[in-house]
Amino acid sequence: MLYKLDNVKRIHGGKAIVDIAQLNVEPGKIYALTGPNGAGKTTLLQMLAFLDAPDAGTVTFMGNQVLYSEKQLQPLRRRVIMVDQQPILFSMSVYRNVEFPLKLRGLSEAARKTAVEEALKNVDMLSFADVMGSHLSGGEIQRVALARALVCQPEVLLLDEPTSNIDKNHQPIIENMIRSASKNDKISVVFSTHSMQLVEQLADHCLSMEAGKIR
Amino acid sequence: MQYLLESFGRAVSLIAQCDAELATIVWFSLKISLISTLVAAVIGIPAGFAIYLNKFRFRRALITVLNSLLALPTVVIALFVYGFISRRGMFGSFDLLYTQSAIIIGQTILVVPMITIFVISALGHLDIRYRKTAMTLGADRWQTSLLLMHEAKFGIAAAIAAAFGRVISEIGVGMMLGGNIKGFTRTMTTAMALEYDKGEFVLAVALGLILMAITLGINIFINYFQGNINERYN
Repeated sequence: MLYKLDNVKRIHGGKAIVDIAQLNVEPGKIYALTGPNGAGKTTLLQMLAFLDAPDAGTVTFMGNQVLYSEKQLQPLRRRVIMVDQQPILFSMSVYRNVEFPLKLRGLSEAARKTAVEEALKNVDMLSFADVMGSHLSGGEIQRVALARALVCQPEVLLLDEPTSNIDKNHQPIIENMIRSASKNDKISVVFSTHSMQLVEQLADHCLSMEAGKIR
Repeated sequence: MQYLLESFGRAVSLIAQCDAELATIVWFSLKISLISTLVAAVIGIPAGFAIYLNKFRFRRALITVLNSLLALPTVVIALFVYGFISRRGMFGSFDLLYTQSAIIIGQTILVVPMITIFVISALGHLDIRYRKTAMTLGADRWQTSLLLMHEAKFGIAAAIAAAFGRVISEIGVGMMLGGNIKGFTRTMTTAMALEYDKGEFVLAVALGLILMAITLGINIFINYFQGNINERYN
């Protein structure tokens, strides 16, 4: 099992924003997370990305219980990458942004160059390589953020509303990338969305959330 | 008015001639202030990051204390340091009193809280997503700090510039710990005070003009960085 959540709760302002009795996520599959705004989808994704810790309950990742110590979390975060609904690019060029996670992993310059160019090509952003991240539109930022996440071949990709800022012309690029990441690179994907069309096109499983619970 | 205009004219001529005494005083002031600011930055920037990135008990209390220290008069800091480095003090054997090192120590203590608070503020103004994105991309604490430093570089540069402006224009530490010794610990502000006491306006006005030019330069520098910060957040 990729993730196993037992009695996981995240409390905010005295209210449980995530309250999951049990959730099992299988590896190599695409999961869609649906539900109204405020249902707890983003908080759940952040917990799966090890960016947020539950207030109660246990999270198991690939058979090991997550203890939420900084020492344990950092290596885990190298295996799981989350892309925000409104991702942010660092104050550097598009190329440097996509190169950033590869530098952290100590790849050689030649290996980085090949990987970055390939990743930018996949999202149709190679011609923007030298452009500063701050000069891009919301949709372009989202495409670069997806390239930056996929360039380091994570085991799990968590996407918060991946097509919300993308125009209709570029939505197939994102959908194909998610599909390819799952099928070809065996990356497990969990994405949240309001689009039932996207769920039907991509997801192997659909989890519906409401008031922090999975229905 | 005539007297002031006359002093002003002679002061400008003193600056134009690069008067030796004037140059020495300006050089000492710049040297001492730059070293103090540099040492304070080396202490204050990591301290700011440590306080911002870590959640610990009494964190808010510590920030309140640091904020309070911003308003501490320089003479209080000078008095405090004097207690340690005077002959009867804990570090009296080092013979630091009335040396440039004493001024540097006092000025460093003066601006460490300033740089720390400004760095915390600069980091606090950054979008939280920078930190979360760095973390999810696999950055450890050190790598995350470096990225945040890159993103907050304008705020940090403004903090250093403001600290330099504070030390170069202070007088309490320079006077009480440096002793205003000619050719050794005489800085622009202590020299101006002395010239005023003597009723000699020319050197004081010349130093005042240079000090104003430096302060103006620092403010232009800060405004430039402030403009960059505003541009980013708007």
